[in-house]
Amino acid sequence: MVARCNNGRVTTPHLPDQPSGATVTRERPAEAEQTLTPWVTIVWDDPVNLMSYVTHVFSTYFGYPEERAAELMLTVHNSGKAVVSTGTREQMEIDVDAMHGYGLWSTLEPA
Amino acid sequence: MKSAFKRTGSLIRMRLTDYEAGLLTSLVQQLVELIDVQAAEPETSDPFDRWQAELASVEPLDRTDPVISRLFPDAYPHDPAASAEFRRLTQTRQRNDRRDQAEVVLAALEESGAGERPVQVPLAELDAWLKTLTALRLSLASRLGIRTADDIDGVESLGDDDPRSYVYRVYEWLAYVTDSLISLQP
Repeated sequence: MVARCNNGRVTTPHLPDQPSGATVTRERPAEAEQTLTPWVTIVWDDPVNLMSYVTHVFSTYFGYPEERAAELMLTVHNSGKAVVSTGTREQMEIDVDAMHGYGLWSTLEPA
Repeated sequence: MKSAFKRTGSLIRMRLTDYEAGLLTSLVQQLVELIDVQAAEPETSDPFDRWQAELASVEPLDRTDPVISRLFPDAYPHDPAASAEFRRLTQTRQRNDRRDQAEVVLAALEESGAGERPVQVPLAELDAWLKTLTALRLSLASRLGIRTADDIDGVESLGDDDPRSYVYRVYEWLAYVTDSLISLQP
């Protein structure tokens, strides 16, 4: 993510630019487990999206208060990623779809 | 490049030069060409037939294009099959949404008479603008090879004779417009 004042850009420290390969791929769980296991939506840091825009997306789409949205944005920025929502797999697919619509780099996985 | 932004109530007015308005129009048109579904209007009134015809006539996106893979990333980074299924269910609508948002921007630019009058952005249309500007920045970043923060340093230090340095200035100008619009929200 990048920060901007109107005429200057603060460059980000370098961060992982793609989802890490460390996550273990699991076998698809049985149907009953699938609905019970919580899933998470993750937003990854990228060098293009503006910090102001990412905050705007979190507060607009999730309805998070400005402060919470900014905090989440900073987690993405500083840690390379953040969990932005938790719920069923179906709900997380809706959130990931929405994040892609905003141009954010987002994935879902079991919590 | 100079721009002025003002908000009165629920309406943002943005002053663009004719050059800026023309440039933005052409960039947005290129984006539409890249992602447009180009579905021919089905001739039947049966909703199921229409739906089938729409699915069949959708031109698939070229996923080897880095712009396409960035605008439509994998939802499941370690599960290509699940990612493909996710795309099958979401992509046509995503492309239609993006085209609709781009058309909001194009209509406002046209309304301004190529920057002769201020471009009007009602707050209700702000997200269409922000999503479109972001898609343009993601596209230009891919073309410029910006994948990490380090890549930006390389692009920033390009000489003026390198055509990419102009693309980078456009990319930065789009960031300025985006940031200005966001800062004008109530």
